[in-house]
Amino acid sequence: MEKIKEILNRFDMEYVEDYKPTWVKAKLKNKNDLLDVVKALKEVGVASCSTVSPTDFPEENRMEINYFLEDIENKKNVWLKVDIDRDLEKCEIDSITPVLESADYHELESYSTFGVKFKGHPNLRYFLISADYYGKFPFRKDFDWEEHEKQLIENVNTISDEFFEEYEENEETMGHEDSRTVLHWGPTHPASGPIRLKVYVNGENIEKVEPDIGYVWRALEKLSERKDFIGTIVAVERICFMDNTNPMICYAQAVEEIAGKEITPFAKYMRVILGELGRTVSHLISMGGFFGTMGLQTFLMWCLDVREYFLDVLEDYSGARIATACIEPGGVRYPLNDYKVWFEEINKAIEKWESVKPDIEDIFMKNPLMVTRAKDTGVFTKEDVVDNYLAGPIARASNVKVDVRLDEPYAGYADLEMDYVTCESGDARDRLFIIYKEINQSIDLIKQAMKKIEEGIEAGEMDPKKDHMVKMPRRMPEGEAVSRVEWARGEMLMHLVTMPKSTNPYRLKIKAPSVNHTRILEKLIPGHTLSDIPLLYGSMHICQGDLDR
Amino acid sequence: MLKVLDFFNYARSKSPWIVHFCSGCCSLEMLAAMGPRYDWERYGYIMTPTPRQADIIFITGLVSKKILPALLRTYEQMPEPRYVVAIGACAYDGGPYNDSPSVIKNMTEILPADVFVAGCPPKPEAIVAGLEELKEKIKRGEPSASSQGGLWKQMKF
Amino acid sequence: MSLWEMLFYILVFPGLLFLLAWTFFVFYFARKTLAYIHKRVGPHYNGPAGSLQTVWDVFKLLTKESITPKSADPYLFNIIPIITPLVAALPVILIPWTPLINNGHAILDTEYGVLGLVVLIGVEPFLLFLTGFGSHNKYSFLGGMRILAQMISMEAPFFLAALSPALLFGTMNLYEIMYSNTWLTTLILLPGAIIFIITMLGILEQPPFNIPDAEQEIVYGFYTEYAGTNYTLLKFAEFTEILVVSAAAVTLFFGGYRGVFFDSFWWLFLKIALLAVVMVAIRASNPRLRLDQMLKFTWSWLTPLAILNLVWITFAKLYIVGV
Repeated sequence: MEKIKEILNRFDMEYVEDYKPTWVKAKLKNKNDLLDVVKALKEVGVASCSTVSPTDFPEENRMEINYFLEDIENKKNVWLKVDIDRDLEKCEIDSITPVLESADYHELESYSTFGVKFKGHPNLRYFLISADYYGKFPFRKDFDWEEHEKQLIENVNTISDEFFEEYEENEETMGHEDSRTVLHWGPTHPASGPIRLKVYVNGENIEKVEPDIGYVWRALEKLSERKDFIGTIVAVERICFMDNTNPMICYAQAVEEIAGKEITPFAKYMRVILGELGRTVSHLISMGGFFGTMGLQTFLMWCLDVREYFLDVLEDYSGARIATACIEPGGVRYPLNDYKVWFEEINKAIEKWESVKPDIEDIFMKNPLMVTRAKDTGVFTKEDVVDNYLAGPIARASNVKVDVRLDEPYAGYADLEMDYVTCESGDARDRLFIIYKEINQSIDLIKQAMKKIEEGIEAGEMDPKKDHMVKMPRRMPEGEAVSRVEWARGEMLMHLVTMPKSTNPYRLKIKAPSVNHTRILEKLIPGHTLSDIPLLYGSMHICQGDLDR
Repeated sequence: MLKVLDFFNYARSKSPWIVHFCSGCCSLEMLAAMGPRYDWERYGYIMTPTPRQADIIFITGLVSKKILPALLRTYEQMPEPRYVVAIGACAYDGGPYNDSPSVIKNMTEILPADVFVAGCPPKPEAIVAGLEELKEKIKRGEPSASSQGGLWKQMKF
Repeated sequence: MSLWEMLFYILVFPGLLFLLAWTFFVFYFARKTLAYIHKRVGPHYNGPAGSLQTVWDVFKLLTKESITPKSADPYLFNIIPIITPLVAALPVILIPWTPLINNGHAILDTEYGVLGLVVLIGVEPFLLFLTGFGSHNKYSFLGGMRILAQMISMEAPFFLAALSPALLFGTMNLYEIMYSNTWLTTLILLPGAIIFIITMLGILEQPPFNIPDAEQEIVYGFYTEYAGTNYTLLKFAEFTEILVVSAAAVTLFFGGYRGVFFDSFWWLFLKIALLAVVMVAIRASNPRLRLDQMLKFTWSWLTPLAILNLVWITFAKLYIVGV
């Protein structure tokens, strides 16, 4: 930590201060120093960029860019800020992509939504936003949506035109002479979901892959600026419905930090239970989907069967199966009037999972054809993980010990017994196994948290009918917070900015792991054959919801 | 003659195949409806991999501007008679994304739906119930709403 | 053979009506069995226990718009689906179905039964390739190419395995093969039968060899552009082929319609149904192989094994059965 501070102090900084146990927060005075700072930091191990988040301040005519840089191995993180001019012509800064590869898509996203030009970026282009927003930068505070929305049909036609132009271009450049062509894998493809991979193939062999994203771009970050602090939950939980609880925990923590409130132990353990339930539900689909990509639906169906029992638990608590909205700033939304009944329901779901576990291990985890297909396919080394910042299960499958629940414990995780679950080789099969192991870990955590709550209630320290919430102020003070959680697919980071006495977020940046996981497809898939696309794609457990936001 | 047509309408209503297209979060509940607990294959619904063999297309929740051409193209590729089912609040007026700049708010003006399923997201039971309602419509031999009009005819896709 | 007899053969049994009934049955049967393994129910409300589901499906498909894409070759695209079921149904006349017809012989009782069977079964994939070729769709074309690659590599062991009973009994007449089969020879032919069933999965494009119409990879392979009637015809051809190939397997290796206590068509049907159950069970528990893995499997394992099997059959013929 001291080393990082020392390096930062070598440069011209406005301030360098500690922030949370694992973060150093610093603001750079001169934007021209940025590249040198990042290079120096990379030498001491801060080699991954979590995200790039511009914040727009039109009154002060400045754009503040936040870099979240992480040292995955040693858990030391740097929050680097720098101011640049807001005018479109002067709004430019050095790209850190040549130094830290993992910043690539995040910089493109900032460019497309805020118009920050990154000098030296290898391929600066519009990204994520649809064609009708090209050159308009919709996340700037002065962008007029209503005006833009009026010409709906023209806008849609613009988007179509882009497709047609691209198609014509491909037809011309590829020709019809040899076996090279471009395949569009998605968005109507049975296994793709709303994403398009432009696959350049030579016969069955893949030469190049370009992901085209933005098909479910809902502009959630902008949307949350229009809602109040409670209403933002609706936007935040819809990042991805597969694991719906953990993003809310992340957001709630950021708000609590700005408000300076501490939640009750009961709420902390409830968050553990709900978060792990969300993770289990999500992992069950990921695990089944992995086999689904190889044409085997049975396992998916079995997983869906178990998943229903876990959804019953969420429904019992919140009244909704997947859109639970059950965690809000200040704790958890509902009291537990009869905690024993709910715990009974959880135990039922756990029993269901335990009852199918032997079958799953025998039939599917050891399936010889699955091993033939997935073993030694798509291997990630530790360097790949650090360079491209692969998060969560994908990193842990390559034996990188990273887990926000342990690195920066939140909610009740500090008091629970857990350890990193890892696999050795980092191939596609291990990315399936890790999911399976994590479900078991989640269930263990749920059991521990249930026990803690039971003990607390018996000792009279917790009151499940009253302790679920602490009172939150209606208006938030000015502030800024960064909050991280371990989401089902990896690290989720939220950067929340508020204005004095505000009722709604000024800026909410959501970093979701699928962005980097999609980026790595560009390197992962070429060299394989067409049959491997769904397998490798499925093994990354990508959700388009959090890819596009 | 009328009896024969009735018979074919009946056959059509008994075997609705659905194209595999997801544009939003509600597709997760479709997955659940396919799953063991709700199992819509009991009623004869199955997913087809290509639009060519499908009868029904789902507007699964939100439709962003970028995916709209793909959705309309998929719809256009389906053979007649084809029906549209709008699932979730977003398909009706944008739902929770009503304030969002990139989501289509008047989706059913663009592609009129035959059946709306309410909810955010609707439960699998509701989706199956909505489809059963569509069956009645097919059985009566009514033309689909989307063939009657809608902004989709003015769009390029 | 009188005209009425011929019409009966063509239209009722083992012709059109029988094949249609089989299609209805096997589609329903596969869906229901698969659903059972999925822990689901499968078709349930349409007809008793959902049994009419496939009937409605077929009638619906027949009334749907039949699309010919603008860029497709209209002749190839529309003619192949008519030829395919005819070719698929042709081998039906070579198989002895029941003791009631033609004294238990096949309708066309020829010395070259096995040869005719494998050749007619082997022609089918090339027609399916043409469907993919005529669709003028990238995914269809890839499906067509995959089917060619799969067929060329699968048919070598398929032919060799089909040859083993002919070699053992010294005849290619299916009736004689069927009647020469005893419990002992069934055991001797067992390795050949296993190779035959594995290659059968490949030829019928069943999992784990459903590579040509792999949904997750190339949408629906050569089926991608087909709608309505054409799709029905192609599916009909597929199910007819399933029937023909499984009936061939049963006739060649498991004694056809011969059974315990009495000989009847129902024995044949039971054996085919058992084969279908095996196929569904494999489908329900195994993911798909990759194309290159399949090629490697057939050329470096299956074909040599099939040749070794012939050596074993020759040995058994000389020393176990006795010439």
